[in-house]
Amino acid sequence: MSDPSEATPQGRSVIHDLGYRPYTGQRLGAGAIARSLVVTGFRNAFGLGRSGRSKVLPFVLLGLNLLPALIVGGVMAFGGLDRLPIGYAEYASTTQVLLGVFVASQAPVLFSRDLRHGTIALYLARPLRSGAYALARWASLLAATLVFLVLPIVILYAVALLTELDVSDQTREAGIALGLAVLLALSLAGVSGVIASWSTRRGFAVVATIALLVVANGIVTVVQGISGEEGGRPVVGEVAGLFSPYSLYRGLMAAWTDADAPTPPSTTGMELAYVGVLVALSALCVGLLVARYRREATS
Amino acid sequence: MRVEHLTKDYGAVLALDALTLEVGEGTTGLVGANGAGKSTLLKILLGLVPATGGRAEVLGHDVLTEGPEVRAKVGYLPEHDCLPPDVSASDFVVHMAMMSGLPRVAARERAAEVLRHVGLAEERYRPMGGYSTGMKQKAKLAQALAHDPRLVLLDEPTNGLDPAARDEMLGLVRRIGHDFGIAVIVTSHLLGELERVSDHVVVLDGGRLLRASRTDEFLDATGALLVEVLGDDAQARMASALATAGVPATVRGSMLSVDAASGTRDVRDVIRDTASDLGLGLVRIQADHRHLEDVFADAEPEPTSGRPAGRGAEHVGRHRGAEEVSDVRPE
Repeated sequence: MSDPSEATPQGRSVIHDLGYRPYTGQRLGAGAIARSLVVTGFRNAFGLGRSGRSKVLPFVLLGLNLLPALIVGGVMAFGGLDRLPIGYAEYASTTQVLLGVFVASQAPVLFSRDLRHGTIALYLARPLRSGAYALARWASLLAATLVFLVLPIVILYAVALLTELDVSDQTREAGIALGLAVLLALSLAGVSGVIASWSTRRGFAVVATIALLVVANGIVTVVQGISGEEGGRPVVGEVAGLFSPYSLYRGLMAAWTDADAPTPPSTTGMELAYVGVLVALSALCVGLLVARYRREATS
Repeated sequence: MRVEHLTKDYGAVLALDALTLEVGEGTTGLVGANGAGKSTLLKILLGLVPATGGRAEVLGHDVLTEGPEVRAKVGYLPEHDCLPPDVSASDFVVHMAMMSGLPRVAARERAAEVLRHVGLAEERYRPMGGYSTGMKQKAKLAQALAHDPRLVLLDEPTNGLDPAARDEMLGLVRRIGHDFGIAVIVTSHLLGELERVSDHVVVLDGGRLLRASRTDEFLDATGALLVEVLGDDAQARMASALATAGVPATVRGSMLSVDAASGTRDVRDVIRDTASDLGLGLVRIQADHRHLEDVFADAEPEPTSGRPAGRGAEHVGRHRGAEEVSDVRPE
């Protein structure tokens, strides 16, 4: 292009309407597209890139979820305790209601919204295959759930180190808690994702997910409570623990850390079964999600 | 775009019946009644729905084996609603451009450009839930163009629009085909619309090809002239005077239809002189073109096989000036 000062005889610049200009730049492959979808989905799960109102719920829940950790930090700083008042892994078990509400309310943002508003047709008309789309959505929800679970652990760990608790003990316990958080996030993202993808109504998906998580956990807790009493049969409680993500988490937490829970898995075989069920449940849910969107593409 | 013996059998309904068709550059109108197989054809072309038989090729790619390559180069505007209400058009088009593989910075530039082309100004920063139907259609069109496709598939882009918005949308479709250099396949069940924007017209009926040719071949001049005159009892006086001069004329609406092939002198001179002699105001003389609806009127439906071919294949409406819709196909 020539010197703009020569654009007119008077030396003034002018705006040219160039008309339609074709795009000749770089076009990225499926991997980059999927990554971009995961990042956008992750932001959307916290209401970012959406209306101001949709940011309220996720950030209120996240704030409430972090509040106990911050209080613990204050207590540790001023109280001079020699151990954390709440274990890393115990934390998620204590705030499980907030966690349940978070995944139940944000899974529809990632799964129901596109189906409800027909946006899925636009995604499917683009290079990404339906299966990859489903996996990217699931990854976004998993990442958002992990942020919800891992941030308190990070805060507690930082507090523990700042108050000069034993580094190796704290690191080991925080590591176990991280592993448990990943297992719980995998299963919660899967379960809530499947429910949200089969229900295009946001309200229904939220209620169904919370009901499933709370009711299943409630029934399991009752059974475990009864079987864990003196004279009861703990093995019944151990098996019952296999039927809810929260009780699976609780059982493994009691088996691997100092925390208490009714009828934790008493044998290595049972511990493996707990881990196996969590992984299998997640895999099953991912499979269902892929199948759901493949069907959507060809219908 | 080329399809050969393309068949799609949904079991109860045969959506496409051994369709063979080739579509080139420019704007192609795909006409047919609801259930004629238009949307099914578009879905097969996008590589979403596998065909039961035959093959389809888009921009040199086989849709069955190279679906992602096809979809990277094709833009799609679906018939139904597809916009999330809580996102602004600007953000949405950027996101959709990135979903077609554009890097973020390029996606932003492209989004700004296509939104300008479709005519979404300040409202692009508002959530799309508050948009009018016309603005929504523009946003849908913008996302279909965001990645600079080589071909856009527009499924009923004028659906639900008022006459002004319809004209604007048709103007945009024409610009995409002519000025942007992007091939367009646009479907409609309104023939008048496609007459205005498309270079080629493909008529589908019950999953089969009824006719495919250039629009101007559809609209061959009929050899007649339409004449409009003003004055007291102008038409009747003009018709009888022309008949006396050896040029038969019939009254059609507010115009006279004159057979231009008759007589020895130039019929236009006769018309001019006659009007002048009678003291009538000669408003216009124009060639009489056929309309697309005449093609349907001409085409006798072939006897169908025992199975139902699509739903309700008997209604093909014609829409002119957005007020009259009529059935034109013989039952």
